Amino acid sequence: VYQVFETVAKKYDIMNDSMTLGIHRVWKDILVHKMNPCPGTLLLDVAGGTGDIAFRFLNYVRSVRQRQLQRKLKHHQNLSWQEIFESYQKDKSNSLGDSQVVVCDINREMLKVGKQKAQHLGYSEGLSWVLGNAEELPFDDDKFDVYTIAFGIRNVTRIDLALQEAYRVLKPGGRFLCLEFSHVSNPLLSRLYDLYSFQVIPVLGEVIAGDWRSYQYLVESIRQFPPQEELKAMIEDAGFFKVDYENLNFGIVAIHSGFKL
Amino acid sequence: VRCQHYPPLRALQASAALRRASDEHTKEPLTSSSQQHFDSPPAGHQPEQEPQGPHPSYTGQGGQESEDYESEEQLQHRILTAALEFVPEHGWTAEAIAEGAKSLGLSVAAAGMFHSDGSELILHFVSECNTKLSKLLEKEQKLVQLGEAEKKPIDEFLRDAVEARLKMLIPYIEKWPQALSVLLLPRNIPSSLNLLTSMIDDIWHYAGDQSTDFNWYTRRAVLTGIYNTTELVMMQDSSPGFEDTWRFLENRVADAMTMSNTASQVQSTGEAVVQGLMGAAVTVSNAETSRAVR
Repeated sequence: VYQVFETVAKKYDIMNDSMTLGIHRVWKDILVHKMNPCPGTLLLDVAGGTGDIAFRFLNYVRSVRQRQLQRKLKHHQNLSWQEIFESYQKDKSNSLGDSQVVVCDINREMLKVGKQKAQHLGYSEGLSWVLGNAEELPFDDDKFDVYTIAFGIRNVTRIDLALQEAYRVLKPGGRFLCLEFSHVSNPLLSRLYDLYSFQVIPVLGEVIAGDWRSYQYLVESIRQFPPQEELKAMIEDAGFFKVDYENLNFGIVAIHSGFKL
Repeated sequence: VRCQHYPPLRALQASAALRRASDEHTKEPLTSSSQQHFDSPPAGHQPEQEPQGPHPSYTGQGGQESEDYESEEQLQHRILTAALEFVPEHGWTAEAIAEGAKSLGLSVAAAGMFHSDGSELILHFVSECNTKLSKLLEKEQKLVQLGEAEKKPIDEFLRDAVEARLKMLIPYIEKWPQALSVLLLPRNIPSSLNLLTSMIDDIWHYAGDQSTDFNWYTRRAVLTGIYNTTELVMMQDSSPGFEDTWRFLENRVADAMTMSNTASQVQSTGEAVVQGLMGAAVTVSNAETSRAVR
């Protein structure tokens, strides 16, 4: 798995766009919307290599924070100009509201690409990059508010260990969110999807990234991944409550959510 | 095959949790499933241990499953109750719920358990108010039965009951229009209507209504109309102590009393209901435009 991603790292984003015809951006947006984070949330994004989820999280939190500040300012109708100025200054320096995201990935190359992207896009605060294995996270217990793993869990050898680690590092009340390819139940769509996956994607892989085999592996790993209900059961086994999943695009992708209660 | 797989894992977690919770006395109340117990646990009492206590088999081992399911609901109940004190500041939103969860020692992400528009919080509040009203009316009834108080005439009884119920809104009155508009969303209408009708039912029950004929419906509809219109008047009332609202209420109840003795009873019922709906529609559109302006 490590080697696959080493070769794939640089072209990862481009391949994502071409394989999913850009819909992966929508999927990731939906994930962050579902999370609905408020300022002050501490997010751990595992296998988040190039930082897609992390950037969306920061954007979301920043806009929520702005709205909060606007509301507060409206309440300050009766203050003098000096007081308003002072409170504005104080809040301005806290544009993220203490929210932070830690991006953890097993692959150094992916992290490197992510850091470059962050610099390029201008994300400077609230972001950390850590090298780590999802089956054995280098963090203490009860640390994070939200744990996300987008398109990463199928690459983990022992999913149950990863789920247990997720449970461990989450605070009580914390949320586990998993965005992953899943099983399409609609038979017609399933045939079209299979056709697309096995014929088109490896070809794209060869053309764009010069690597047929990695993308062949990718498509096969999607097929081998447990379906929605089974994954739900595994998440429940790890100790999460209120486990639920939401199918996007008829099951091509599913978001699983669970709470550590 | 699956069922066999689970029990050993669950037992391990359960025994570990039991050892942790051994000095906590919350195991007993959970098995006896009494709601009262959970309304008053001290806040600093390691809240996260409570739901972790009866960990065993969320996925089903008969009796134990329902026990566990209940503790999830109870936790949600506690979070919503805690969230109420943040409503004046944050409104009926997921933010208030997040602050409530934080105050209980849980992560702010726990607010994700609820809908992002705060519907559950509002419904929870309404249900709590209705429960409080029931208890109040029951207490009064006991006093009357014991002969320690006079039985009130119907119009006074209705007036007092509606006033008592509406007074519970006072701490949240600023954000209540927002809550009303959320309650009128199609998704929430079944639940909110349910809560409303059961409250009206309750009031009539304690008022001594024993009718089994068409009167039952007209009485309910009339009181629903009175309650809704008074609530809407209260939203726009800026008089000291809401005296305008109570005067309005008095007049409406008096109207209902006189009308109930005439043949125009059925017509006035229809009118009352229509009035209630019109008032509701006006409030929603006002709330929406004022929200948009903001």
